[in-house]
Amino acid sequence: MLTQVLLQLTVVVTLMVLVSIAVFVGRYRLRDTRLEWRARVRAAAPVTALLAAVLLFNSVARQYGPDVSWMIHWNLTWPIYDVEGEFILWLQSFEAPAITAYFSFIYIYGYVFLLVFPVIAYFALSNTRPLRELLTAYTLNYVLGLGIYVFIVAYGPRNMMPELVDALLYDTYPQYQHLTRQVNRNTNVFPSLHTSLAATVTFLAFRTRAIYPKWFFLATGLGVSVAISTMYLGIHWAIDVAAGIVLAYICVVLAGVLVGRWSVTAWIATLRDSSTSRSTGSGTGTDTKPDADPNPGSSSGSSGSSGSEPNADAGTRDTTPSESEPETGSDPEPERA
Amino acid sequence: MSLPSNDVDTNTSPDANVNTDANVNTDADATTGYSRRSLLAASATGLSVAASGCIDRVQSVVDSDAAEQVSLSILSLPAADGDRETAEITRHLEANLEAVGIDATISTRSESEFLEAILIDHDFDLYVGRHPADFDPDFLYETLHSTYEYDQGWQNPFGFTDTLTIDRLLERQRTETGADRERTIATLLEGIAQEKPFEPICVSNEYRAVRTDRFDGWDENYLTTGNGYLGLESDASSDTEQLHALVTDQRLAQTFNPLSPTTHEQRVIVDLLYDSLAVPTWSVPDEAEATDEETRAGEEVIDAANVSIEPWLATDWEWDAQNRTMTVDIREDCTFHDHTDDGTDADGGDANGSESGIPLTAEDVAFTYRFLADTTYGRAASASPAPRYQGHVSAVDSVTVEDEYRFTISFSTDRAVAERALTVPILPAGPDSPWITHLESSVESADDDLSPTQGDWSIVRSNHAPPTGSGPYKYDSHDAGTSVTLTRFEDHFTLRDDDHDLPAPTADELHFEVDPGTSSSVERVANGDADITTTQLDTYALESTIDDDAVSFVESPSWSFYHIGFNTRSMPCGNTHFRRAVSQLVDKQWVAEEVFAAEDSARPVATPVAEEWVPDSLAWDDGELVTTFEGEDGELNVDAARELFASNFEYDDGALVW
Repeated sequence: MLTQVLLQLTVVVTLMVLVSIAVFVGRYRLRDTRLEWRARVRAAAPVTALLAAVLLFNSVARQYGPDVSWMIHWNLTWPIYDVEGEFILWLQSFEAPAITAYFSFIYIYGYVFLLVFPVIAYFALSNTRPLRELLTAYTLNYVLGLGIYVFIVAYGPRNMMPELVDALLYDTYPQYQHLTRQVNRNTNVFPSLHTSLAATVTFLAFRTRAIYPKWFFLATGLGVSVAISTMYLGIHWAIDVAAGIVLAYICVVLAGVLVGRWSVTAWIATLRDSSTSRSTGSGTGTDTKPDADPNPGSSSGSSGSSGSEPNADAGTRDTTPSESEPETGSDPEPERA
Repeated sequence: MSLPSNDVDTNTSPDANVNTDANVNTDADATTGYSRRSLLAASATGLSVAASGCIDRVQSVVDSDAAEQVSLSILSLPAADGDRETAEITRHLEANLEAVGIDATISTRSESEFLEAILIDHDFDLYVGRHPADFDPDFLYETLHSTYEYDQGWQNPFGFTDTLTIDRLLERQRTETGADRERTIATLLEGIAQEKPFEPICVSNEYRAVRTDRFDGWDENYLTTGNGYLGLESDASSDTEQLHALVTDQRLAQTFNPLSPTTHEQRVIVDLLYDSLAVPTWSVPDEAEATDEETRAGEEVIDAANVSIEPWLATDWEWDAQNRTMTVDIREDCTFHDHTDDGTDADGGDANGSESGIPLTAEDVAFTYRFLADTTYGRAASASPAPRYQGHVSAVDSVTVEDEYRFTISFSTDRAVAERALTVPILPAGPDSPWITHLESSVESADDDLSPTQGDWSIVRSNHAPPTGSGPYKYDSHDAGTSVTLTRFEDHFTLRDDDHDLPAPTADELHFEVDPGTSSSVERVANGDADITTTQLDTYALESTIDDDAVSFVESPSWSFYHIGFNTRSMPCGNTHFRRAVSQLVDKQWVAEEVFAAEDSARPVATPVAEEWVPDSLAWDDGELVTTFEGEDGELNVDAARELFASNFEYDDGALVW
């Protein structure tokens, strides 16, 4: 059952990603990626390793988290329900099979695509900063979101208002419950990580709108759809979604501040003498120089952490003139808007 | 009254937590004198769980000068991932409590946290839930007798005490038979209906989705018990090595302790792993009639049937009415499961198994009854009764071992209650017993004297994997929180002996897997991924149509009743008038018809026992003592309902105050 759902998910998302690469990324960026991928991987390796470590830790901690949560027992279900009343009911009053199908698709497939595609799209840029910001923001989302989950126990609308809210996703498509159960608990509701990760992608798409203007529009559409889907499907409260958006904003701002602040490679260079056992460092530690190349322009600019948003755009433009110029000339897609 | 701000204070930092706990407990102790238990719990474990309840109480005591609105927190289960009917009844009750001016909130808990709060922490105002109940009304003894007032576990979770009337009736019915007992029980039930330590709402049938193409004969046995999984007919043409069953409670695949009070629906697995001297047996009527409507949904029907206690591990018993003793013979050469060489004797090791397994003798039976009555086995200053089976073991005065396979039990009760006591799981004694081992190490590690918290100490809480019983299935392996696999115990007497017509294990393996929801469970049975939903389904699932002749819904009659449970230890639920008024806020008829989706799946009740025991005065249709809803068709008559409360409480600006 689970493998079947997973296979289906993989196939559909892969197709969506392939089409999107053709539409948004374009072949010139792919060509450059083929030449520069080693350097880009090296630049993104530390934060990728960090994200992987967080996800790994999450899968282990998930076994104990709920017990700790119940011990702390800060149950927010009632206060949330009491404050926001019947907004979810109003939203569900628009129920129609087509709408349910659309939002179910968005909740599962659209969401996964929304998280996966920007990783590839930003990897296709010579400037690795957007990629590193993206991965950092993902990591922050997980760390902060899961941290809040430990403290707050809350059930979603589908568990509170049985007679009124249909748990549309799991009743219409019960197979997806096997999937979502693998990655989440029914008491992990506040904030909505679905919303915060989707909003994170949307915010970053805004930052990079000069490079990927069309993607910005699609990401916005998908991001808003994901947020609505979590409520329409009775999984999250509006308050969870609002908190998710706030969390996303915090993560994006923090990512802007943090990325480029520390260079793992430089740090490793200082520790060269003693052979470090850190798995994150060992891969990149051997060649420090190449990694430093794409960095200096942007990292020096951002380490001052002045206004993150314009900085990101500026940084992107500063360091990419070499390949963005030919692109604007020949590739009709980017930078038009 | 659960104020978020209080919780914030306790929870912001772990260091602050400890201090707050201490302060709160001192305060609570000084002002209310009540929180002895909380103090124990908090000092023993340092958890803020206990403290959060104390804070509420402290708050209400501190503010008691000024009239304050009555506030109640209703414990309930999550709707989509727990019990939809419970959640709906809770919402109905909450809305009507609000309507009469009470500040009501719903506190949704996972199943095990729900039971923990009610049975162990006693930290609740009231709750809505199901009680397992029983075929014999004697289950009320352990549920309500004041001797269990301070116990943790399934015995008297309401903290109810009525030593003059209820206690005496509970005791008297145990020593009577026939019409005398019936009369006493009628008086008892009327007394309970007046006092209302809990208010029964309705009894619902249990429904399970089954596949009949691999295993059939599901309706022959009662699927609420382990026997439902024995004596099946397997289809020779298909792969029937493993029977695949779905459960919803993760605890089932984590905790293998037959004494754990907070594991929801563990009965089937405990029944399969452990033998008992006797088993309750339901005689199934010959013709299983299905109405048109039910056949449309592919259902099969068995009628509510008579129950009798039939020999299982015991071959026979003799009841001496004069002395109230029972001489029991048990089957010879039975052994406990041997886990020393894990998994090697699955197929060919029959001979090995019988030689190496620990034999089950009369000594083990004697140990079981003594151990359930006192889990410290006399090692502590005071007895520590198990948090389950107290109704059963309290009927037993002593067990005298006659020889290896014969013993005499001396009872304090008459025959009906005595036979019910034969249904507890038999646990191994002897030096290799996990219980003895655990006890020894507890005594050793205790600094001076062993003084465990009754109902909540490690021996009744810890996992005890692998569980050692002598039942028809043996624990094989588990994946924590995901699944548990049992293998057929080839040495079991039902496979070995021919002198009985008891059901024997059919499938080589039973694989219980945790599945989160009713819809997904039904779907998995429908597409051949599982053979049965062990956990009963929410009734809305019966509306789903499945185009597969091999899939059907099995309906089982049940004694388990939905009810409102009151914590009578604290106000306002300690007040009988208040409980009566609250009981009139639930429209049982409406609940049975509207909340339970399938037609005739539930019936409203005024008293918590099986139908044959219901006295006329408490018959739902026309009993004169039946509590009626203050309103109609689920709609509360607010003015009349407020009158109910106004006689004992005051209203201030529309809010009920005290």
